[in-house]
Amino acid sequence: MEKTFNEQESLRVITEMIENTKSKFCNNSFFYLLWGWLVFLASASNFILVQIGYAYSWLPWPVLMFGGGIVSVIAGIRMGKKTKVVTMFDTMMIYLWNGFLVTLFIILFVAASGNLSWNISNALIIALYGLGTFVSGGVLKFKPLIFGGVISWAIAVATVYVPENYSLLMVTLSITVTYLIPGYLLKFRKNS
Amino acid sequence: MFKQLDPLLHQQLRLQIVSLLMNVEKAEFNYLAEKTGATKGNISVQLTKLKDAGYIEIHKSFRNNYPLTTCNITPKGIEAFENYVAALKDYIGEKK
Repeated sequence: MEKTFNEQESLRVITEMIENTKSKFCNNSFFYLLWGWLVFLASASNFILVQIGYAYSWLPWPVLMFGGGIVSVIAGIRMGKKTKVVTMFDTMMIYLWNGFLVTLFIILFVAASGNLSWNISNALIIALYGLGTFVSGGVLKFKPLIFGGVISWAIAVATVYVPENYSLLMVTLSITVTYLIPGYLLKFRKNS
Repeated sequence: MFKQLDPLLHQQLRLQIVSLLMNVEKAEFNYLAEKTGATKGNISVQLTKLKDAGYIEIHKSFRNNYPLTTCNITPKGIEAFENYVAALKDYIGEKK
């Protein structure tokens, strides 16, 4: 038996369903915090190892990034299994961050080929982090991410002018403002 | 003269389903059941009606050996929903 209902009820139903689809925007703080801490540890330990004159000072990067990649893939598959709905935002985020990764590898490839100083490549990477968080912040309507992105761009410009070794500390600084602080705020917003 | 309210959308559960699908790219059957609170049998009937009208698409697949049904709204469904909202505005008198 189909129940007919009036126009006011129609409006209520539409509004309720829109509210229902809004709640899942903040569940990706996990990835911000995971990668935030990994890049933070890698850049900080790389800086310290350079200072003490260790020959393989770059070693934290492949170890931590590879480990992070495995954890991300496993977490992504697990979350994918639980996810019952895909929004336009989800698709946009997937394309944004996959494009981010490809661009990151291109910058690292060019830098490793010796055609780019580490200062410039670190500045480009910081600017790229800024773009990723700026766009995410705009889509999620989450101001800390938008501000994090803008601050990251300022740090990227400043990175060109610091001594080469210290450009690593600029990466540490930018990851703190673009990933870690907004990541914890996002987590806090989710829990509250 | 009021516009006619689309009878296919002017029914609580079908309107719930289409409103949900308007906001997402695709949704699983269980998601629709969870959000609307309706019985699976009822949802199944309404999904078929919406599909027959060309408002939604239904895809059947498997995940971990369990059948998985996902739905998404079609351009025709989006147009019908927009027309429905416009007609609703007429009724409520918001339209200038």
